[in-house]
Amino acid sequence: MTHSPASLVLSRRRMLAAMLASTAAAAVGAIPFAARAQEAGTPRPGGTLQMVAPFGSALQSLDPHATYESQDMAVSKAFHRSLYNWDSATNSVVLELASEVKVSDDGKTFTYKLLDNIYFHNGRQLVADDVIWSYSRILAPGSSLSAISNLQNIKGAQDYLDGKADTVTGLAKIDDLTFSITFDSFADPGFLLFEAVTAILPREAVESGTFLSNPVGCGPFTFVEHIEGSRISGKKFDKYFKAGKPYADAIEFTITDDYSALDVAFRAGEIDATVLSENGYVLYAQDPELSKGLIEIAEMFTRHMGMNLDMKPFDDVRVRQAINYAVDRDIIIEKLLKNKAFKAVGWLPTPSSGFDPDRKPYAFDPEKAKALLAEAGLTDGVSFEAWVTDATSSLGVLQAMTPFLAAVGITVTPKVVEAGVLVEAINKGEAPAWFRSNGTGPDPISALRSFDSRRPRSTNRAGFKDTAFDAILDEAMATLDPAKRVELVRKADAYIFDQAPVWFHNYNKAVLATQPWVHGVDANVTEAAIIEVDQVWLDENAPSR
Amino acid sequence: MKAGANLYVGGGIILLIFLLAVFAPLIAPYDPVTSANLMYAEEPPGAQFWLGTDEQGRDIFSRIAYGARISLFIGLAVQVMNTAIGVSLGLSAGYIGGWWDEIVQGLTNLMLSIPTIVFALALMAILGPGLPSLLIALGMTDWAYSCRISRAQVLTQKSLNYVQSARTMGFGPLHVMFRELLPNISGPLIVVATMGVGSAIMAEASLSFLGLGVVPPNPSWGGMLSSAREQLMVAPWVAVFPGLALFAAVLGFNLLGDGLRDLLDPHGKGRK
Amino acid sequence: MLNVLLRRLFQAALTVLVVVTLVFVLFSVIPGTYASSLQADKRDVSAEVLERIEAELGLNDPLPQRFGRYMAGLAQGDLGVSYATKRPVADMLSGRVWASFRLACAAILFAVCIGLPLGFFAAMRRGSWLDTATMTLAVSGLSIPAFWAGLVLMYVFSLKLHWLPTFGYGSGGLKHLILPAITLGIAPMALLARTTRAAVLETLNSDFIRTARSKGMSERRLVLRHLARNAFVLVLTTIGLQFGSMLGGSVVIEKLFAWPGVGSLLIDSVGLRDIPAVQGAILVIVLFFLLINTLVDLAYLVVDPRIRYR
Repeated sequence: MTHSPASLVLSRRRMLAAMLASTAAAAVGAIPFAARAQEAGTPRPGGTLQMVAPFGSALQSLDPHATYESQDMAVSKAFHRSLYNWDSATNSVVLELASEVKVSDDGKTFTYKLLDNIYFHNGRQLVADDVIWSYSRILAPGSSLSAISNLQNIKGAQDYLDGKADTVTGLAKIDDLTFSITFDSFADPGFLLFEAVTAILPREAVESGTFLSNPVGCGPFTFVEHIEGSRISGKKFDKYFKAGKPYADAIEFTITDDYSALDVAFRAGEIDATVLSENGYVLYAQDPELSKGLIEIAEMFTRHMGMNLDMKPFDDVRVRQAINYAVDRDIIIEKLLKNKAFKAVGWLPTPSSGFDPDRKPYAFDPEKAKALLAEAGLTDGVSFEAWVTDATSSLGVLQAMTPFLAAVGITVTPKVVEAGVLVEAINKGEAPAWFRSNGTGPDPISALRSFDSRRPRSTNRAGFKDTAFDAILDEAMATLDPAKRVELVRKADAYIFDQAPVWFHNYNKAVLATQPWVHGVDANVTEAAIIEVDQVWLDENAPSR
Repeated sequence: MKAGANLYVGGGIILLIFLLAVFAPLIAPYDPVTSANLMYAEEPPGAQFWLGTDEQGRDIFSRIAYGARISLFIGLAVQVMNTAIGVSLGLSAGYIGGWWDEIVQGLTNLMLSIPTIVFALALMAILGPGLPSLLIALGMTDWAYSCRISRAQVLTQKSLNYVQSARTMGFGPLHVMFRELLPNISGPLIVVATMGVGSAIMAEASLSFLGLGVVPPNPSWGGMLSSAREQLMVAPWVAVFPGLALFAAVLGFNLLGDGLRDLLDPHGKGRK
Repeated sequence: MLNVLLRRLFQAALTVLVVVTLVFVLFSVIPGTYASSLQADKRDVSAEVLERIEAELGLNDPLPQRFGRYMAGLAQGDLGVSYATKRPVADMLSGRVWASFRLACAAILFAVCIGLPLGFFAAMRRGSWLDTATMTLAVSGLSIPAFWAGLVLMYVFSLKLHWLPTFGYGSGGLKHLILPAITLGIAPMALLARTTRAAVLETLNSDFIRTARSKGMSERRLVLRHLARNAFVLVLTTIGLQFGSMLGGSVVIEKLFAWPGVGSLLIDSVGLRDIPAVQGAILVIVLFFLLINTLVDLAYLVVDPRIRYR
């Protein structure tokens, strides 16, 4: 379903962003789609979409710039738009608010032509000043907004942040609908500017003082009500810039992370689409009716057990490899995760442009693991403490690993903590080993920066230090030729795979359940819960009609 | 219902659970933790696994047997702590009155007004989740109930004849409180205390729901039940059997409390 | 009576002061910070952003300084601004307090309407099938964890019968209130039934009833007349305690039913180490408890004049 009137325009000049995006698209043949999600049909307007913000019982903030939480971003899809967007049909970043972009020869300056029919919910047209103001807001001196790191590479951003300049020199208005962004070094702006953290907001609304309880954007729905801790709703925005969209008259998100209750609500027909847990997946897949509405998505998240390379025994690469050989991932994925995961064969996940389809995973080979441990001089066995949260993907997986590790002489004890405490312990270098899921897309290079020795511990959590690896990354970053770049990225990923600073577990398979009356739900590999709500429509059987 | 039936039924259930807990190593066919084997994950009940297995392939019957130890221990330890603290404070506050009553009342209000979960959360963050945090969080905070009940009772009984006469006979305050007042107010207290054992077991289940209970893989009935709630449709036995055990335990303690009440009630015999 | 009120007010102020101090210090020293909680999700917020957040919120200042700042605001009635939402905590609380209050009232109403008569009749028919049935029901009510009871109610009333919505707050009507209120009310109902039964039996066995009975008065009338004076103290205590702690004790049910209550705000804010929000939520919970408590104490005075407050 190609929907965007703002689809990428290939200009006369060589289009770096487009090339990169297309290489990303080429690598994702493996993603299964449910038949009905692709099914054609004439979209019907009307009805109220019943969606879910499924990762917590409250939203963190209604200011899209201030939150990087997945469920807040899912909600932002209804109210806000960014310069770029993730297009699930092609698995790539596409232009959203601009009709075209031109790239300078050095690949550092991007000139955008905005669409002339974009309006904010307050009725005012979106112009170049709004883009510049929105990005400047994120980079304002004293700002603590999440997207600072996305925009820091813009020329003059650091000076502005530090209060040394009055404007961000890299952001320039050319006319009301034209502006340019200049970066310090080559960057693919699509990867940086497609999420809600860089949404374009109207200054007057943000500064009105009521923005946090009454958000205004240029998205398909206007804000109606937020009952904190329960629900947020909106109604169709008549001046939305995509003709005929959104299809639904209204939208409601129930905010909850209780999947047993969500299951009941979905079966009762109160929810149109929701993500499923492992058990929900098993159950719905077995059901002749419910299984028709399943959408399976290979997400760009890599689940792993991180290891602190500054601590023994993880300073020895043989120990880390031994752990990777010692555990039977297949049975964990099949039995515990109910096949709601894909075995990891590297840091970069299946849909990533840097994914290497030919790489072989670590085999389940306890003998080899024992041999490696013996080589490392650990014949008497070895023990460590793993920090986990009380979740299936964390403590559950650790418990399932324990017998396999015990079989090769590794004793592991769990330390269960809150998610925030876990991160703190990792960042301070206090946790010897931990379980985590990392976002590893869509930009493969920034995903691999998790092992860049120059990055702080909060990014390079394992404390991986290898200048050879850093050099490969830098080379990839400086390479303009897409094929060569992908080759370098794969080389870097292979390097990490061999050095094994983590136990490679799986890439999450997200599963969406959709009702028979719901159409146009996309499979978003960056986060399945973030659904492009402007294209979702309800047929005549929807209960909300 | 015959008088004493509660006592026997309740006592019987509790005795069975006690035996299960004490002889768990003899009764349980598998180790509750280390028997994890994904090859046998979510096996339905059968000859090999009497009550089936959980998602890690652990025998549920064995986990329930060992879980009896943990759940009983939590219930009893917590309730002993609570009752000891609560009754001493409540009795003395009601009897002595004055500034001591003020302090106890203030303390009671403080403990009552702050939800147990706040203490639980803080303790988990400091000590880490687990049995010690759980025992402190539940055992040091839930005494307010028995404290207030005993205080209220003392206040109504203080002016009654038997207390007055004990006083005029020259007995000291400790004697009056624990020998005269306590037996006379023990009826409701026993009800509260025995139910408290059950509710402490239940509280652990609720905290498990919020991820604050006994740390897996150690089996507690509440924890098993809570973590199984999503499996209800996939593998119902994982949820049902711990749920039944929990139900039986709480039922047993309540019946026992009722029975004990009939037995200990100083006036009860006159009722026939 | 005025004296009692003043005394209560003083106590309340003291309690609040202790709670506020305790909570602030406790949640400031335990592991985890607001900044670290932001990285708990799969997406990484960069270290620089985290540093900026900490600087902006003054989280690097020494604890006494932070506490002083908070107390200075509180003294002026300012609950501060939430770290996470950046909104005034008072605004965040206003909607949630009402939702919590409605839920608690509905739950206690359910508990009283069912539990009180059940307990009373069970006691009057002590040893009969009614007694057995009632007490079995009460015990069962106490033996099922709230999240299971809630799930079962959901399955029956929304999935199978389609009578009521599964979860959510709706537009503030009754429809969405019923299931969570019953779930929350089951345990207090059971407790109330049992306490009432025990209290009525106690009353039946007391000296003056026996005296009256020996004079040939009807038992039911006797109990009814004296219930107010004796058993009510016990029953009132139970109701007061149950009701008073409901705002903070309904977290599990709020989570299950996506109910926008104070309890889930508390839990979420603790997870985020969003201290102003934690403080605000606890303050509301504590104040509500103290208020109910005071009302119950005043009711004691009315019901049973033998209880004397100095």
